[in-house]
Amino acid sequence: MRYWRLIFVLARKDLRLEYRSPQSLLTTLFFAVLILVVFNFAFDPGDPAVRTAAPGILWVSMLFPGVIQLNRSFQSEREEGTLLGLILSPVDRGILFFGKCAANWVLLLLVDFLVLICFFLFYNVGISSTEIGLLFLLLLLVGGVFSAVGTLFAAMVSTLRARDVLLPVLLFPILVPEVVAAVNATRELLGGNSLQYFWHWVKLLAVADVVFLAAAFLLFDFVLEE
Amino acid sequence: MVQNRAVVAESVLFKEPLLQLRSVTKRFGSITAVRKVDLEIRRGEFWTIFGPNGAGKSTLLRVVAGLTGPSEGSVSWPGSTMDRSRIGYVSHQSLLYGDLTGLENLLFFARLYALTEPRRRVDELLQQMDLVNASDRPVREYSSGMRQRLSLARALLHDPDLLLLDEPYAGLDQHGGRLLTEILNGLRDEKRTVLLITHSLEGLDLASHLLVLNRGEVLLLRPRGDLTRGEFEKLYFELVGS
Repeated sequence: MRYWRLIFVLARKDLRLEYRSPQSLLTTLFFAVLILVVFNFAFDPGDPAVRTAAPGILWVSMLFPGVIQLNRSFQSEREEGTLLGLILSPVDRGILFFGKCAANWVLLLLVDFLVLICFFLFYNVGISSTEIGLLFLLLLLVGGVFSAVGTLFAAMVSTLRARDVLLPVLLFPILVPEVVAAVNATRELLGGNSLQYFWHWVKLLAVADVVFLAAAFLLFDFVLEE
Repeated sequence: MVQNRAVVAESVLFKEPLLQLRSVTKRFGSITAVRKVDLEIRRGEFWTIFGPNGAGKSTLLRVVAGLTGPSEGSVSWPGSTMDRSRIGYVSHQSLLYGDLTGLENLLFFARLYALTEPRRRVDELLQQMDLVNASDRPVREYSSGMRQRLSLARALLHDPDLLLLDEPYAGLDQHGGRLLTEILNGLRDEKRTVLLITHSLEGLDLASHLLVLNRGEVLLLRPRGDLTRGEFEKLYFELVGS
Protein backbone atom coordinates (compact mmCIF):
# COMPACT_ATOMS: atom_id res chain seq x y z
CA MET A 1 0.00 0.00 0.00
CA ARG A 2 2.86 2.34 0.88
CA TYR A 3 4.44 1.71 -2.52
CA TRP A 4 1.27 2.71 -4.32
CA ARG A 5 1.05 5.87 -2.25
CA LEU A 6 4.64 6.77 -3.07
CA ILE A 7 4.08 6.16 -6.79
CA PHE A 8 1.03 8.40 -6.55
CA VAL A 9 2.99 11.13 -4.72
CA LEU A 10 5.78 11.04 -7.31
CA ALA A 11 3.45 11.01 -10.32
CA ARG A 12 1.27 13.76 -8.89
CA LYS A 13 4.34 15.95 -8.43
CA ASP A 14 5.29 15.53 -12.12
CA LEU A 15 1.73 16.16 -13.29
CA ARG A 16 1.48 19.25 -11.11
CA LEU A 17 4.75 20.58 -12.54
CA GLU A 18 3.49 19.94 -16.07
CA TYR A 19 0.23 21.69 -15.27
CA ARG A 20 2.08 24.74 -13.92
CA SER A 21 4.51 24.88 -16.82
CA PRO A 22 3.10 22.89 -19.75
CA GLN A 23 5.78 23.67 -22.37
CA SER A 24 6.65 20.07 -23.17
CA LEU A 25 3.00 18.96 -23.26
CA LEU A 26 2.06 21.76 -25.63
CA THR A 27 5.11 21.18 -27.83
CA THR A 28 4.34 17.47 -28.03
CA LEU A 29 0.73 18.16 -28.94
CA PHE A 30 1.69 20.78 -31.51
CA PHE A 31 4.14 18.40 -33.19
CA ALA A 32 1.54 15.60 -33.23
CA VAL A 33 -1.16 17.76 -34.79
CA LEU A 34 1.36 19.06 -37.32
CA ILE A 35 2.06 15.49 -38.49
CA LEU A 36 -1.66 14.88 -38.90
CA VAL A 37 -2.05 18.10 -40.89
CA VAL A 38 0.87 17.27 -43.19
CA PHE A 39 -0.46 13.78 -43.92
CA ASN A 40 -3.91 15.25 -44.42
CA PHE A 41 -2.57 17.20 -47.40
CA ALA A 42 -1.15 14.02 -48.89
CA PHE A 43 -4.51 12.21 -48.99
CA ASP A 44 -7.88 13.12 -50.32
CA PRO A 45 -10.28 12.59 -47.35
CA GLY A 46 -12.61 10.51 -49.53
CA ASP A 47 -9.82 8.33 -50.91
CA PRO A 48 -10.03 4.67 -49.76
CA ALA A 49 -6.26 4.79 -49.37
CA VAL A 50 -6.86 6.86 -46.23
CA ARG A 51 -8.27 3.83 -44.47
CA THR A 52 -5.20 1.80 -45.39
CA ALA A 53 -2.72 4.45 -44.33
CA ALA A 54 -4.68 5.76 -41.33
CA PRO A 55 -3.34 3.34 -38.70
CA GLY A 56 0.26 4.20 -39.60
CA ILE A 57 -0.46 7.94 -39.64
CA LEU A 58 -2.21 7.70 -36.29
CA TRP A 59 0.61 5.90 -34.49
CA VAL A 60 3.38 7.98 -36.03
CA SER A 61 1.61 11.14 -34.88
CA MET A 62 1.07 9.73 -31.39
CA LEU A 63 4.47 8.15 -30.72
CA PHE A 64 7.09 10.29 -32.45
CA PRO A 65 6.18 13.52 -30.64
CA GLY A 66 6.02 11.59 -27.35
CA VAL A 67 9.82 11.59 -27.34
CA ILE A 68 9.77 15.33 -26.57
CA GLN A 69 7.75 14.63 -23.44
CA LEU A 70 10.06 11.81 -22.34
CA ASN A 71 13.21 13.85 -22.88
CA ARG A 72 11.93 16.72 -20.78
CA SER A 73 10.85 14.50 -17.92
CA PHE A 74 14.44 13.85 -16.81
CA GLN A 75 16.14 16.86 -18.31
CA SER A 76 14.33 19.23 -15.95
CA GLU A 77 15.17 17.00 -12.95
CA ARG A 78 18.85 17.10 -13.92
CA GLU A 79 18.89 20.83 -14.62
CA GLU A 80 17.40 21.77 -11.28
CA GLY A 81 19.37 19.08 -9.46
CA THR A 82 16.14 17.66 -8.11
CA LEU A 83 17.02 14.17 -9.27
CA LEU A 84 19.69 14.16 -6.57
CA GLY A 85 16.98 15.01 -4.03
CA LEU A 86 14.98 12.00 -5.21
CA ILE A 87 18.01 9.70 -5.18
CA LEU A 88 18.90 10.80 -1.65
CA SER A 89 15.42 10.01 -0.37
CA PRO A 90 14.87 6.55 1.15
CA VAL A 91 12.45 5.64 -1.63
CA ASP A 92 13.35 2.52 -3.58
CA ARG A 93 14.64 3.47 -7.03
CA GLY A 94 12.16 1.12 -8.63
CA ILE A 95 9.40 3.21 -7.05
CA LEU A 96 11.02 6.35 -8.45
CA PHE A 97 10.85 4.66 -11.85
CA PHE A 98 7.18 3.75 -11.51
CA GLY A 99 6.31 7.27 -10.36
CA LYS A 100 8.05 8.82 -13.35
CA CYS A 101 6.67 6.21 -15.72
CA ALA A 102 3.11 6.70 -14.44
CA ALA A 103 3.32 10.47 -14.98
CA ASN A 104 4.70 9.98 -18.50
CA TRP A 105 1.98 7.45 -19.21
CA VAL A 106 -0.79 9.82 -18.11
CA LEU A 107 0.66 12.74 -20.09
CA LEU A 108 1.08 10.56 -23.16
CA LEU A 109 -2.52 9.34 -22.88
CA LEU A 110 -3.69 12.93 -22.60
CA VAL A 111 -1.81 13.91 -25.77
CA ASP A 112 -2.99 10.76 -27.55
CA PHE A 113 -6.59 11.47 -26.63
CA LEU A 114 -6.37 14.96 -28.15
CA VAL A 115 -4.55 13.60 -31.21
CA LEU A 116 -7.27 11.01 -31.66
CA ILE A 117 -9.95 13.70 -31.71
CA CYS A 118 -7.96 15.63 -34.35
CA PHE A 119 -7.42 12.43 -36.32
CA PHE A 120 -11.16 11.71 -36.60
CA LEU A 121 -11.83 15.33 -37.50
CA PHE A 122 -9.17 15.50 -40.21
CA TYR A 123 -9.57 12.06 -41.78
CA ASN A 124 -13.29 11.49 -41.49
CA VAL A 125 -12.84 7.85 -40.41
CA GLY A 126 -16.10 6.26 -39.28
CA ILE A 127 -15.86 4.22 -36.08
CA SER A 128 -18.38 2.80 -33.60
CA SER A 129 -18.37 3.48 -29.87
CA THR A 130 -17.21 -0.09 -29.16
CA GLU A 131 -14.31 0.39 -31.55
CA ILE A 132 -13.43 3.66 -29.84
CA GLY A 133 -13.29 1.76 -26.55
CA LEU A 134 -10.98 -0.83 -28.09
CA LEU A 135 -8.81 1.91 -29.55
CA PHE A 136 -8.44 3.32 -26.05
CA LEU A 137 -7.36 -0.10 -24.86
CA LEU A 138 -4.63 -0.01 -27.53
CA LEU A 139 -3.59 3.49 -26.44
CA LEU A 140 -3.31 2.28 -22.88
CA LEU A 141 -1.17 -0.74 -23.77
CA VAL A 142 1.12 1.01 -26.24
CA GLY A 143 1.42 3.96 -23.86
CA GLY A 144 2.56 1.53 -21.15
CA VAL A 145 5.39 0.07 -23.23
CA PHE A 146 6.36 3.47 -24.60
CA SER A 147 6.47 5.05 -21.12
CA ALA A 148 8.35 2.13 -19.54
CA VAL A 149 11.12 1.93 -22.14
CA GLY A 150 11.07 5.67 -22.71
CA THR A 151 11.43 6.54 -19.01
CA LEU A 152 14.37 4.15 -18.66
CA PHE A 153 16.16 5.49 -21.73
CA ALA A 154 15.34 9.12 -20.91
CA ALA A 155 17.06 8.62 -17.54
CA MET A 156 20.02 6.98 -19.29
CA VAL A 157 20.63 9.76 -21.80
CA SER A 158 19.70 12.69 -19.56
CA THR A 159 23.34 13.40 -18.67
CA LEU A 160 24.52 13.34 -22.28
CA ARG A 161 24.78 16.35 -24.52
CA ALA A 162 23.31 14.51 -27.50
CA ARG A 163 20.30 13.28 -25.50
CA ASP A 164 17.70 14.80 -27.86
CA VAL A 165 19.11 12.81 -30.76
CA LEU A 166 19.97 9.67 -28.82
CA LEU A 167 16.61 9.02 -27.20
CA PRO A 168 14.62 8.34 -30.40
CA VAL A 169 17.57 6.41 -31.87
CA LEU A 170 17.60 4.09 -28.86
CA LEU A 171 13.87 3.98 -28.25
CA PHE A 172 12.27 3.28 -31.61
CA PRO A 173 14.25 0.17 -32.62
CA ILE A 174 13.15 -1.44 -29.34
CA LEU A 175 9.57 -0.37 -29.96
CA VAL A 176 9.30 -1.60 -33.56
CA PRO A 177 7.46 -4.85 -32.68
CA GLU A 178 5.00 -2.96 -30.47
CA VAL A 179 4.39 -0.29 -33.09
CA VAL A 180 3.82 -3.00 -35.73
CA ALA A 181 1.36 -4.70 -33.37
CA ALA A 182 -0.42 -1.40 -32.68
CA VAL A 183 -0.68 -0.53 -36.38
CA ASN A 184 -2.00 -4.00 -37.29
CA ALA A 185 -4.51 -4.02 -34.45
CA THR A 186 -5.74 -0.56 -35.47
CA ARG A 187 -6.04 -1.72 -39.09
CA GLU A 188 -8.21 -4.66 -37.99
CA LEU A 189 -10.33 -2.26 -35.98
CA LEU A 190 -10.75 0.48 -38.59
CA GLY A 191 -11.14 -2.04 -41.41
CA GLY A 192 -14.27 -3.42 -39.81
CA ASN A 193 -12.78 -6.94 -39.84
CA SER A 194 -13.50 -9.66 -37.32
CA LEU A 195 -11.81 -8.87 -34.03
CA GLN A 196 -10.07 -12.24 -33.83
CA TYR A 197 -6.72 -10.87 -35.08
CA PHE A 198 -7.17 -7.68 -33.15
CA TRP A 199 -7.13 -9.66 -29.89
CA HIS A 200 -3.95 -11.49 -30.97
CA TRP A 201 -2.17 -8.17 -31.30
CA VAL A 202 -3.64 -6.95 -28.02
CA LYS A 203 -2.30 -10.03 -26.23
CA LEU A 204 1.14 -9.40 -27.69
CA LEU A 205 1.03 -5.81 -26.48
CA ALA A 206 -0.13 -6.88 -23.02
CA VAL A 207 2.81 -9.28 -22.73
CA ALA A 208 5.17 -6.54 -23.95
CA ASP A 209 3.79 -4.23 -21.25
CA VAL A 210 4.52 -6.72 -18.48
CA VAL A 211 7.98 -7.61 -19.82
CA PHE A 212 9.13 -4.05 -20.45
CA LEU A 213 7.73 -2.67 -17.20
CA ALA A 214 9.47 -5.41 -15.24
CA ALA A 215 12.76 -5.04 -17.14
CA ALA A 216 12.79 -1.24 -16.83
CA PHE A 217 11.97 -1.50 -13.11
CA LEU A 218 14.91 -3.84 -12.55
CA LEU A 219 17.37 -1.86 -14.65
CA PHE A 220 16.50 1.60 -13.37
CA ASP A 221 18.69 1.20 -10.28
CA PHE A 222 21.78 0.75 -12.49
CA VAL A 223 20.84 3.71 -14.64
CA LEU A 224 20.74 6.04 -11.66
CA GLU A 225 24.03 4.85 -10.21
CA GLU A 226 26.91 7.33 -10.11
CA MET B 1 21.89 3.87 39.72
CA VAL B 2 19.51 4.85 36.94
CA GLN B 3 21.25 8.19 36.69
CA ASN B 4 24.64 6.44 36.41
CA ARG B 5 23.33 4.24 33.63
CA ALA B 6 22.09 7.31 31.80
CA VAL B 7 25.51 8.96 32.11
CA VAL B 8 27.23 5.80 30.87
CA ALA B 9 24.76 5.48 27.99
CA GLU B 10 25.28 9.10 27.04
CA SER B 11 29.03 8.87 27.18
CA VAL B 12 28.97 5.71 25.04
CA LEU B 13 26.61 7.44 22.63
CA PHE B 14 28.97 10.37 22.21
CA LYS B 15 32.18 8.33 22.22
CA GLU B 16 31.27 5.71 19.66
CA PRO B 17 31.75 7.12 16.18
CA LEU B 18 28.59 7.75 14.24
CA LEU B 19 30.53 7.45 11.02
CA GLN B 20 33.90 5.94 10.25
CA LEU B 21 35.97 6.41 7.11
CA ARG B 22 38.86 4.02 6.75
CA SER B 23 41.49 4.84 4.16
CA VAL B 24 38.89 6.08 1.71
CA THR B 25 40.19 6.69 -1.79
CA LYS B 26 38.09 7.76 -4.73
CA ARG B 27 39.39 7.72 -8.29
CA PHE B 28 37.83 8.89 -11.51
CA GLY B 29 39.86 7.21 -14.22
CA SER B 30 43.46 8.29 -13.72
CA ILE B 31 42.51 11.15 -11.39
CA THR B 32 42.53 10.53 -7.64
CA ALA B 33 39.97 12.90 -6.13
CA VAL B 34 40.26 11.64 -2.55
CA ARG B 35 43.33 9.87 -1.19
CA LYS B 36 43.39 7.60 1.88
CA VAL B 37 41.13 9.65 4.13
CA ASP B 38 40.65 8.38 7.68
CA LEU B 39 37.94 10.10 9.66
CA GLU B 40 35.75 9.39 12.67
CA ILE B 41 32.73 11.55 13.29
CA ARG B 42 30.95 11.38 16.64
CA ARG B 43 27.46 12.50 17.49
CA GLY B 44 27.17 16.20 18.16
CA GLU B 45 30.37 17.13 16.35
CA PHE B 46 30.39 19.95 13.81
CA TRP B 47 33.07 19.34 11.22
CA THR B 48 34.05 22.02 8.76
CA ILE B 49 36.04 20.99 5.70
CA PHE B 50 38.19 23.61 4.03
CA GLY B 51 40.24 23.35 0.89
CA PRO B 52 40.79 25.02 -2.46
CA ASN B 53 38.64 24.24 -5.50
CA GLY B 54 39.26 20.73 -6.76
CA ALA B 55 40.59 19.55 -3.39
CA GLY B 56 38.12 16.65 -3.29
CA LYS B 57 35.76 18.08 -0.68
CA SER B 58 32.52 17.52 -2.57
CA THR B 59 33.64 14.07 -3.68
CA LEU B 60 34.31 13.16 -0.06
CA LEU B 61 30.84 14.34 0.86
CA ARG B 62 29.28 12.33 -1.96
CA VAL B 63 31.12 9.23 -0.75
CA VAL B 64 29.83 9.82 2.79
CA ALA B 65 26.30 10.33 1.42
CA GLY B 66 26.53 7.01 -0.42
CA LEU B 67 26.02 8.76 -3.78
CA THR B 68 29.17 7.14 -5.04
CA GLY B 69 31.18 4.27 -3.61
CA PRO B 70 34.84 4.56 -2.59
CA SER B 71 37.39 3.05 -4.99
CA GLU B 72 39.30 1.78 -1.94
CA GLY B 73 38.68 1.82 1.80
CA SER B 74 35.36 1.80 3.59
CA VAL B 75 32.64 4.01 4.98
CA SER B 76 30.84 2.48 7.93
CA TRP B 77 28.23 3.38 10.50
CA PRO B 78 29.40 1.50 13.62
CA GLY B 79 26.60 -0.26 15.42
CA SER B 80 24.10 0.33 12.64
CA THR B 81 23.60 0.17 8.92
CA MET B 82 23.76 2.85 6.28
CA ASP B 83 20.32 4.06 5.38
CA ARG B 84 19.64 7.05 3.17
CA SER B 85 17.13 8.39 5.67
CA ARG B 86 19.99 8.93 8.16
CA ILE B 87 21.48 11.64 6.00
CA GLY B 88 20.36 15.15 5.20
CA TYR B 89 22.11 16.71 2.24
CA VAL B 90 22.31 20.32 1.18
CA SER B 91 24.20 21.10 -1.98
CA HIS B 92 24.93 24.43 -3.67
CA GLN B 93 22.02 23.48 -5.94
CA SER B 94 18.77 23.77 -4.02
CA LEU B 95 17.37 20.35 -5.07
CA LEU B 96 13.95 22.02 -5.06
CA TYR B 97 11.28 22.32 -7.75
CA GLY B 98 11.03 25.90 -8.97
CA ASP B 99 7.42 25.57 -10.10
CA LEU B 100 6.22 24.20 -6.76
CA THR B 101 5.70 26.45 -3.75
CA GLY B 102 7.95 26.16 -0.74
CA LEU B 103 5.19 24.37 1.14
CA GLU B 104 4.54 21.92 -1.72
CA ASN B 105 8.23 21.16 -2.03
CA LEU B 106 8.58 20.34 1.64
CA LEU B 107 5.35 18.34 1.75
CA PHE B 108 6.48 16.34 -1.28
CA PHE B 109 9.77 15.38 0.34
CA ALA B 110 8.09 14.80 3.70
CA ARG B 111 5.86 12.20 2.01
CA LEU B 112 8.85 10.56 0.36
CA TYR B 113 10.39 10.22 3.83
CA ALA B 114 7.07 8.81 5.05
CA LEU B 115 6.81 11.23 7.97
CA THR B 116 3.86 10.47 10.21
CA GLU B 117 2.76 14.10 10.52
CA PRO B 118 4.19 15.80 7.44
CA ARG B 119 2.22 19.02 7.74
CA ARG B 120 3.18 19.60 11.37
CA ARG B 121 6.88 19.01 10.67
CA VAL B 122 6.81 21.21 7.56
CA ASP B 123 5.14 24.07 9.45
CA GLU B 124 7.71 23.73 12.22
CA LEU B 125 10.61 23.99 9.77
CA LEU B 126 9.07 26.86 7.80
CA GLN B 127 8.82 28.69 11.12
CA GLN B 128 12.41 27.82 12.06
CA MET B 129 13.72 29.00 8.67
CA ASP B 130 11.58 32.16 8.75
CA LEU B 131 9.81 31.21 5.53
CA VAL B 132 6.18 31.05 6.68
CA ASN B 133 5.17 34.18 4.73
CA ALA B 134 6.77 32.89 1.53
CA SER B 135 5.53 29.33 1.80
CA ASP B 136 2.77 29.79 -0.81
CA ARG B 137 5.05 31.34 -3.40
CA PRO B 138 6.74 29.29 -6.15
CA VAL B 139 10.36 28.60 -5.27
CA ARG B 140 11.57 30.17 -8.54
CA GLU B 141 10.52 33.53 -7.03
CA TYR B 142 12.69 32.99 -3.93
CA SER B 143 15.99 34.78 -3.39
CA SER B 144 19.16 32.64 -3.13
CA GLY B 145 19.09 32.95 0.64
CA MET B 146 15.47 31.83 0.86
CA ARG B 147 16.18 28.89 -1.43
CA GLN B 148 19.12 27.86 0.68
CA ARG B 149 17.05 28.02 3.88
CA LEU B 150 14.29 26.02 2.25
CA SER B 151 16.88 23.54 1.07
CA LEU B 152 18.12 23.24 4.64
CA ALA B 153 14.55 22.70 5.80
CA ARG B 154 14.22 19.91 3.21
CA ALA B 155 17.39 18.29 4.51
CA LEU B 156 16.17 18.50 8.12
CA LEU B 157 12.64 17.20 7.46
CA HIS B 158 13.36 13.66 8.56
CA ASP B 159 15.59 14.68 11.47
CA PRO B 160 18.73 13.03 10.04
CA ASP B 161 21.61 11.72 12.13
CA LEU B 162 24.14 13.43 9.91
CA LEU B 163 23.72 16.67 8.00
CA LEU B 164 25.97 17.16 4.99
CA LEU B 165 26.30 20.73 3.74
CA ASP B 166 28.13 21.30 0.49
CA GLU B 167 29.04 24.99 0.20
CA PRO B 168 25.73 26.32 1.45
CA TYR B 169 27.15 29.88 1.47
CA ALA B 170 27.72 29.82 -2.31
CA GLY B 171 25.76 32.59 -4.03
CA LEU B 172 24.45 34.15 -0.82
CA ASP B 173 24.71 37.86 -0.13
CA GLN B 174 25.85 39.09 3.29
CA HIS B 175 22.34 39.16 4.70
CA GLY B 176 21.61 35.65 3.43
CA GLY B 177 24.97 34.46 4.74
CA ARG B 178 24.29 35.92 8.18
CA LEU B 179 20.87 34.31 8.36
CA LEU B 180 22.34 30.97 7.35
CA THR B 181 25.05 31.29 10.00
CA GLU B 182 22.37 31.94 12.63
CA ILE B 183 20.53 28.80 11.57
CA LEU B 184 23.72 26.73 11.53
CA ASN B 185 24.59 28.11 14.97
CA GLY B 186 21.21 26.85 16.12
CA LEU B 187 21.94 23.41 14.67
CA ARG B 188 25.30 23.32 16.44
CA ASP B 189 23.65 24.28 19.72
CA GLU B 190 21.11 21.47 19.19
CA LYS B 191 24.14 19.14 19.05
CA ARG B 192 23.40 18.02 15.53
CA THR B 193 26.16 16.17 13.73
CA VAL B 194 27.20 18.25 10.76
CA LEU B 195 29.78 17.99 8.00
CA LEU B 196 30.12 21.38 6.33
CA ILE B 197 32.13 22.25 3.26
CA THR B 198 32.79 25.94 2.84
CA HIS B 199 35.26 28.55 1.70
CA SER B 200 33.75 31.00 4.16
CA LEU B 201 35.45 31.67 7.50
CA GLU B 202 31.99 31.61 9.08
CA GLY B 203 32.49 27.85 8.90
CA LEU B 204 35.47 28.15 11.24
CA ASP B 205 33.43 29.81 13.97
CA LEU B 206 30.79 27.09 13.71
CA ALA B 207 33.23 24.19 13.76
CA SER B 208 34.05 21.91 16.64
CA HIS B 209 36.49 20.07 14.36
CA LEU B 210 38.45 21.09 11.30
CA LEU B 211 39.63 19.26 8.25
CA VAL B 212 41.72 20.74 5.47
CA LEU B 213 41.94 18.89 2.17
CA ASN B 214 44.17 19.59 -0.77
CA ARG B 215 44.50 17.44 -3.89
CA GLY B 216 42.49 14.77 -2.16
CA GLU B 217 44.82 14.50 0.83
CA VAL B 218 44.09 15.43 4.41
CA LEU B 219 46.50 18.17 5.48
CA LEU B 220 44.89 19.04 8.79
CA LEU B 221 42.49 17.17 11.01
CA ARG B 222 41.96 18.44 14.54
CA PRO B 223 39.48 19.83 17.04
CA ARG B 224 39.11 23.53 16.50
CA GLY B 225 39.99 24.37 20.09
CA ASP B 226 40.64 28.07 20.46
CA LEU B 227 42.05 28.62 17.01
CA THR B 228 41.25 32.16 15.89
CA ARG B 229 40.39 33.22 12.35
CA GLY B 230 43.80 34.86 11.92
CA GLU B 231 45.69 31.83 13.17
CA PHE B 232 43.63 29.51 10.99
CA GLU B 233 44.16 31.64 7.87
CA LYS B 234 47.91 31.63 8.46
CA LEU B 235 47.93 27.89 9.03
CA TYR B 236 45.69 27.25 6.02
CA PHE B 237 47.91 29.14 3.59
CA GLU B 238 51.00 27.47 5.02
CA LEU B 239 49.43 24.09 4.35
CA VAL B 240 47.76 24.73 1.03
CA GLY B 241 50.13 27.34 -0.36
CA SER B 242 48.99 30.81 -1.36
